[in-house]
Amino acid sequence: MGVCGAVIRGVGLRVGAVLLLAGIWWAVAAAHVWPEVFVPSPGSVWDQLFLTSSVRDGQRGYSGHLLHEHLLASLRRIGLGSLYGVAGGIALGLVIGLVPTVRALLGPLVTFVRTLPPLAYFSLLIIWFGIDETPKVTLLFVAALPPVAVATAEAVRGVHEDYLHAARSLGARRWQLPFQIVLPSALPEVITGIRVAVGVAYTTVVAAETVNGVPGIGGMIRDAQRYNQTDVVILGLLVIGASGLLIDALLQLTARLLVPWRGKA
Amino acid sequence: MRSPDEPLAVRLSGVSLVYGSRGRFPRRGGNPVEALRDIDATVGIGEFVTIVGPSGCGKSTLLRLVAGFAFPTGGQVAVSGVPVTGPGPDRGVVFQQPRLFPWLSVRRNVEFGPRMAGMPAVRRRERAAELLELVGLSDSAGRRPYELSGGMQQRAAIARALAPDPAILLMDEPFAALDALTRERLQEEIRGIWQTTGKTVLFVTHSVDEAVYLGTRILVLSRRPGRLVLDQASDLPLASDPHTHPAFTSVRETIAAAVRRSASDEEVT
Repeated sequence: MGVCGAVIRGVGLRVGAVLLLAGIWWAVAAAHVWPEVFVPSPGSVWDQLFLTSSVRDGQRGYSGHLLHEHLLASLRRIGLGSLYGVAGGIALGLVIGLVPTVRALLGPLVTFVRTLPPLAYFSLLIIWFGIDETPKVTLLFVAALPPVAVATAEAVRGVHEDYLHAARSLGARRWQLPFQIVLPSALPEVITGIRVAVGVAYTTVVAAETVNGVPGIGGMIRDAQRYNQTDVVILGLLVIGASGLLIDALLQLTARLLVPWRGKA
Repeated sequence: MRSPDEPLAVRLSGVSLVYGSRGRFPRRGGNPVEALRDIDATVGIGEFVTIVGPSGCGKSTLLRLVAGFAFPTGGQVAVSGVPVTGPGPDRGVVFQQPRLFPWLSVRRNVEFGPRMAGMPAVRRRERAAELLELVGLSDSAGRRPYELSGGMQQRAAIARALAPDPAILLMDEPFAALDALTRERLQEEIRGIWQTTGKTVLFVTHSVDEAVYLGTRILVLSRRPGRLVLDQASDLPLASDPHTHPAFTSVRETIAAAVRRSASDEEVT
């Protein structure tokens, strides 16, 4: 089978799986085993997709915003939080990996923050920063930082000493090593850390949007839950999940382009 | 016999190394390990000195001391008359594994040293092209290290080590991980590179044949603690084909006997 055939097969399998799940869902809903408020039919979720994406009787989408506005607001928070988290995590991981004293000081702190459920410190962030964008982005930043920091620190400590020796013998100064050798050779693990971090930001965004979260998919889901609009809740879940899949695929593609030597050297 | 004021590439004076005796090499739950004991040796400029000995005799350690990756606990290592205080571009190193930087192309690997020295991009590129030509890799300049065979990677590593124009090339069993045919070809090539560039080479190997084929001087180390048991001059590498040279067998037998003696427990004088 050629490459083309393999691609078609892969896509076919995925589409098949989705259709199968949708079919089961439809069958369960149509059987009316549970009331519509627990298990809405695929049809009503599908209808909500259009209702929330259009302006009708002067009402804009859901909770005053169109679906894509909710999504973009959430993506913006995820993007900013991940960006700061990744930048901070790489810097922190580099220092933790390179300086034993810093490792002893900050290592336990990073682990401590990593084990905290984001909602636990969200209250604190609201007290500090109010209820606008700042606490939300800060929450995602704090959630996204530890995975990158831990992955970077581990990778930095794992750099083979012969790479450092080779660079020094080629005339690199000690201060040049972190950027010339350590970070590039840690890149594969750092990128894995970034993927984990973006995933964490994704799972945290709905929590961040429980307070003053409109526009935002989390805010939309929360409002829908108040009015028992289960179909909108499910639509929100599907939209956030689908966009997450897309972003992760993009990150994987970037990783392949940036780290073509992964698993080969 | 050399006169004391003749310029030397490397001088080892009473070099000893004991692991675990200082904070630098902490060994938990073990006695100090004596790796090298009281080694006196010199390497003249332009010589090709091979170091051979049983495995674990500290020959690689000795090379790392010259490279400046570690420091002796006793005695002194001097390169070009100056005590070694760390690694530097005056000593190019080729490791047993090629250790090319996988995030750089072959050409950019070779350019690394000149780039660190601040050489402008155009000159750097010329230098890399020159060296890749020397090691026969001109066609692979744009490829990534992992796309090359083991032998080609080691060629690239040699080009990279030569790029900063070091006074001395330090080679740590560079061909040990290659298959026999590639190894033979690379031995021939490194002999050619030594003859064309006139570099001083310090070459560690566990193969007596390799040591005899390449070395204008052959140093034999004893098993741990590594002591210098034989310092044998040879002019075989200057012959057109050392392998078929009449003296090859006798030099080989001398070295092999010294290695055998040093590998057993008896004291050698």
